[in-house]
Amino acid sequence: MKRPALWLAVFFFLIPLSLIGYRVLRLGYPLLPTSPVKAWGLTMEIFFEPAGGNGKEIEIRAGLPESRSGQTVIEQRDLSGTLQFNIMPEGLNQIGVWSGEPEGRVLSYRATVLLNPKRLRKPKPPGPESFPAIIADKSEQILAKRLIERYASLKAPEKLKTIAATAKGIWEEPPPDDNDLKQWSAIQKKYGAEGALLILLRLADFPVRKVQGFVLAESVATQPDRWIAVWTGQKWEHIQPETGDFYSESVCLLPLMIGDTPLVRISGGKLQEVRWDLGKQTLSQWRAHFERIYRSGRFLDRWSLFAIPNQFQEIFRILLLVPIGVLMISVLRNIVGFPTFGIFMPVLMALAFRSTGLSYGLGIFAGVVLIGYLLRRGIDRLHLLLVPRLSFLITFVILAFTVFALIGSKFGVREFMAIGLLPFVILSMTIERFFILIEESGAFQALRTAAGSAAVAAITYKIIQIDPLQLTFFVYPELLFAIMGLLLLLGNYSGYRLSEILRFKVLGEKS
Amino acid sequence: MILRQFLSLRKAGVLGMNRRNRQYIMGYNRRSGFPLVDDKLLTKQLSLKHGIPTPPLYHVVSHHGDIAGFDRALADRQEFVLKPARGGGGSGILLITDRRDGKFVTQSGKIISREEIRYHISDILSGIYSLEGLEDKAIIEGLIHPDQVFGNVTYEGVPDVRIIVYRGIPAMAMVRLPTRQSDGKANLHRGAVGVGIDIGRGKTMDGVRRSGAITHHPDTGELLRDIGVPFWEKMLLIAAQSTEMTGLGYLGADLVIDKNDGPLLLELNARPGLQIQIANRKGLLERLEMIDRAPDEIFVSPEKRIAWATQSFAEPSS
Repeated sequence: MKRPALWLAVFFFLIPLSLIGYRVLRLGYPLLPTSPVKAWGLTMEIFFEPAGGNGKEIEIRAGLPESRSGQTVIEQRDLSGTLQFNIMPEGLNQIGVWSGEPEGRVLSYRATVLLNPKRLRKPKPPGPESFPAIIADKSEQILAKRLIERYASLKAPEKLKTIAATAKGIWEEPPPDDNDLKQWSAIQKKYGAEGALLILLRLADFPVRKVQGFVLAESVATQPDRWIAVWTGQKWEHIQPETGDFYSESVCLLPLMIGDTPLVRISGGKLQEVRWDLGKQTLSQWRAHFERIYRSGRFLDRWSLFAIPNQFQEIFRILLLVPIGVLMISVLRNIVGFPTFGIFMPVLMALAFRSTGLSYGLGIFAGVVLIGYLLRRGIDRLHLLLVPRLSFLITFVILAFTVFALIGSKFGVREFMAIGLLPFVILSMTIERFFILIEESGAFQALRTAAGSAAVAAITYKIIQIDPLQLTFFVYPELLFAIMGLLLLLGNYSGYRLSEILRFKVLGEKS
Repeated sequence: MILRQFLSLRKAGVLGMNRRNRQYIMGYNRRSGFPLVDDKLLTKQLSLKHGIPTPPLYHVVSHHGDIAGFDRALADRQEFVLKPARGGGGSGILLITDRRDGKFVTQSGKIISREEIRYHISDILSGIYSLEGLEDKAIIEGLIHPDQVFGNVTYEGVPDVRIIVYRGIPAMAMVRLPTRQSDGKANLHRGAVGVGIDIGRGKTMDGVRRSGAITHHPDTGELLRDIGVPFWEKMLLIAAQSTEMTGLGYLGADLVIDKNDGPLLLELNARPGLQIQIANRKGLLERLEMIDRAPDEIFVSPEKRIAWATQSFAEPSS
């Protein structure tokens, strides 16, 4: 190997090594992008009707998830973007405020919440907000006091359990007299199960909070779940107001609003409907680092691909795959010795397979080339000039795509509709090359080359589909230098190809 | 296991694709010399200047507007060859052996119209046969009448002799014999037979077809071995001179032997294939390294280089 190339390659390896070293050691980046973490995605859509005519301002306020003990909000975005969006604290709550002149009739908002049970902090004891005024009148209070004074000697957790059970009509020994119970059920009807329970809890001197939010489960809801949080002296217990049952530790609750304030309010218009959509997400650890990186003032954090807007991030995720793909092509062609149509055609095929999937992609590819080949044979005797002939083939390929998409939509095969991203120019050239190769070198050679191209495209696809690899390049784009280094080394390889073992077998055996 | 296979190839002195490209083509063939061999018209003009015999040039079509003129230029020639100037691998070549009722008869006996010839020329000009798909020229030149020395081991077509020349020294040679499968063409990848030639004595050895070793021609059934190649010294000289002519240090010279005109240079190739090693049952790398160890004084003239090669590369007589 020649020295200069080797030194250049070493230099190219040193750049990412030092940058990544700095990021890992000084900025605390994770070294390995493994161990996906569980997160929940919350989408909120608010449908509304503005009151006045055009030019009237409206304001919508809604409770949003907040980072707190055991949960971290790693990403939240206003997706509609027509109104001004701000997040501000309001009492114990985090409120999103949309204001301005509405263009549409719908708002949407998305948050990703990371559950991290390891990060539980000591619960905060209640403040003055947890001692709401008692809604019952004097005589009702006297009755309630009489009902619970028999439990006064119990310890707080037991007392809470006993009082909560009354919501279901279970009164622990000794039972109150029937007359009191009859009057109490009238009060329960008057204030509702929740209101009655709150009266009892407050009179028993428990700090309580009314909470609106969601019990985390894959669901779509138009109303939030409601529960009561009660402070027992050590921790908050969460009680379902209708039944008095406790939420067990394993249930994850996502509070959005503490207190009586409606979860979504509007001024200057009317709410039509609010829809919350909850879904589980698997994130890689990198994504979890997103928020931290985004807020950091460090130079390398600021100059990260995470800092550019989301829709452009997507483009870079794909762009950064191309160097991995061409590295694969170099290895497969120069070290293994696969025959392919065109040099980079398999990379483009592999990128296209990302939207169609491997088997569909290969199938569609084979189908289009085969039909295209027959067509090409058919028009051969027409003696068309080169450029119109290739244009004819391109048009045929697009036509084939259209037919595939229509069939796909008829039978609900999404992969057939995703076909549009297959590189059509490359496909057309492949048809022409395939035809010429069959004419000149026979079907065997042509099929061999086709199989080689398909194999290279499939292997390349499998490699660029490795998620951690994708994310690693996204977090550490400096790895591109390492690829350039590897390519320098590959370009220096003068050794045999694996395929040449077979090709020159006769010669090797002789010695 | 793979490493052992590589080592045994290395020990046999086999030249691989990667080393050929890096060390020999990039090392000895400067870029500016490539057009001289990629364009057969340029090669022909250069050969003329250096007194190297080539098939006679009848006509060149450079523009679509001139296609109609080919008829006039041909006058009443009964036979000719139509080929792209920048074609590769023998594609786009049309051999016309006769004319009948204003139509043309190809070598394989097919009758084609004037219209079809025009279409073929138009294809050539569009660059469909050219190596990079660039615009091309169509060459019309004299048909070769092959010397009958290979007559018994040829199925139609014209056999040609390929000589690999490294730093002006013929390093390895073979003759390519058309078969029924190769459709009368002398291209190995189409199924033609390759037969190694002993550089020292100018005699054929055993052959190869696809990647299998053979001793007899598949169509005629005749023995391939021990055919003496006429004008061998002269052919070696033409090959050796091609280095001075083009300045390329590693190339393949393709020659044909015409019944009347003797050896003619057909074309030069700056990226000659590696199949010749199988036809010779011998690694090329070994010979290239021998040439690198040769004394400086033999490089002064083509004659001295040939003398060295015939001596150094002669096969042990069996």
